[in-house]
Amino acid sequence: MAAGALCVFFPFFWMAVTSLKTVPEIQRVPLHIAPDRWTNLDNFREVFHRQPFARFLLNSALIAGVSAVSSVVVSSLAGYGFAKFRFPGHGVFFFAIVGILMVPFQSVVVPLYLWVSRLGLLDTYLGILAPDLVSVFGVFLMRQSIEVVPSDYIDAARIDGAGELRIFWRVILPSVKPALATLVIVKFMWTWNELFWPLIVVNSPSMKVVTLGLLSFTNMYFIEYNLVTAAAVVSILPILVVFLVGQKWVVRGVVLSGLKG
Amino acid sequence: MRGVLRLFAPRSYMDRQRRAGLLFVLPALVYFGLVFLVPLVESVVGSFHRIVPGGESRFVGLRLYQRVFTDSTFWQAVANTVSLLLMSVPVTVTLALAVALGLHRLRSVMARSAWAAMYFLPFSVSLVAAALIWQWMYDPLYGFLNHLLGLAGLPPLPWLQSLELVRPSLAIVNVWVRLGFDTVIFLAALQAIPADYYEAASIDGASARQALLRVTLPLLNPQIVMVTILELIFNFKMFATVYATTQGGPAGASQTVIMLLYDTAFKFFRLGDASVMAVFVFASLLLVTLVQWRLFRREVEY
Repeated sequence: MAAGALCVFFPFFWMAVTSLKTVPEIQRVPLHIAPDRWTNLDNFREVFHRQPFARFLLNSALIAGVSAVSSVVVSSLAGYGFAKFRFPGHGVFFFAIVGILMVPFQSVVVPLYLWVSRLGLLDTYLGILAPDLVSVFGVFLMRQSIEVVPSDYIDAARIDGAGELRIFWRVILPSVKPALATLVIVKFMWTWNELFWPLIVVNSPSMKVVTLGLLSFTNMYFIEYNLVTAAAVVSILPILVVFLVGQKWVVRGVVLSGLKG
Repeated sequence: MRGVLRLFAPRSYMDRQRRAGLLFVLPALVYFGLVFLVPLVESVVGSFHRIVPGGESRFVGLRLYQRVFTDSTFWQAVANTVSLLLMSVPVTVTLALAVALGLHRLRSVMARSAWAAMYFLPFSVSLVAAALIWQWMYDPLYGFLNHLLGLAGLPPLPWLQSLELVRPSLAIVNVWVRLGFDTVIFLAALQAIPADYYEAASIDGASARQALLRVTLPLLNPQIVMVTILELIFNFKMFATVYATTQGGPAGASQTVIMLLYDTAFKFFRLGDASVMAVFVFASLLLVTLVQWRLFRREVEY
């Protein structure tokens, strides 16, 4: 078990040590595992110097942050609606939303691109965010979680004269905090790691997200792996922090859903 | 109809409740409608139309399908994708089962979650980062894997640059990325199996192997089916790993369906052909999922 885990972990370790080496070091024969200087941060300086990498990080943080928040808002509203109300089309609508899980994003990407382009949103934050604002997983997760909130609480609040939005805010949301945490963290990680859509809508360097920024270190004939790995470390660190802080909720999310395919 | 009308002019308490429910789900419905349903319909429609010079679109029936489906590049991409998926899906699912069974036997919860986190780590980073880390591992001159081969007295391998090895090499990256995800699902399912079952089995004189084959695996059936479907879908849609490393090369040996769709739409701007591929991807995944559910899903009750 431990041996397997170490094998799985090794590429990360290898990435980290490479990011601390100079070019002659990574080309040295025979190969040395440890870098000559463990405090050599030149590659990281070079990464931020050659590309506006700080801007990439900011773009990714902004986009992932907004997508996480918007997703939580819309999903919990819809989850409440589906879990605790009956209305015409209730079953059909929910079935349709879950059915969207079957639609691969790649099957809708061309028309979506044309729409974004027609609306003048290419190369804008809104354009990058467009397909990531809400996820089916979120609606599904929130519905499952809100379903088990006792309806008595809601009825009691209604008898006290609370309006529906107020009930949602004061009764429902506080009872599903773990699910909200799961959704925020999982959605943030997904959007942060996204490549396909940003690749299509982003043109200018200043709008690039981290995944695109990483690729800009491989676009040359000779790939400088000391820089690639340093950039990879920079791109992974924020998500690693999110993952370690929210590990419990991430795992919960995976288990609850099987996630989006 | 009257019911719908009353949503706009609610008269009773029940009417107001119905309207409130509908309003709660409305933002999500509108969003998914605009971002998924409308474009999906447009993709299907687009696959039957050709944009003629001047921007006008003309109905051409199955002409685009005929063109795409008689193109050897397309079938090459399909074959590559299927071969990648046949390599990585069984390995990922089997390894994940093995790892989950191993982790499940650990007594200490701390140790279990620490090791599980280690396996899960690759899933939490972007596919681009994962692919680049591995491209460096695979580097023919200075890569770590060839260093290992050298230590074992073996000649270096060209990995991503060889026609034969490029797909297995990319499959390894997929396995690495997905292993932890599948493991976590299996582990949760294992922990949900009541201990009584194993007690009963051991009282009946079942060996550990029999308990595994007769109790554990059958009870895990739903998760195995689900994970296999998810893996098939994930591998079928493989894009970022290839795009970040080989770009489909060498000589098209790692060109996948989604890579081809991307190139067709956004490099060559043949949107009609890309729509045909989009419909093909949608239909294939739907088919795979439905067939799997029909054939292999058995309800399990504890």
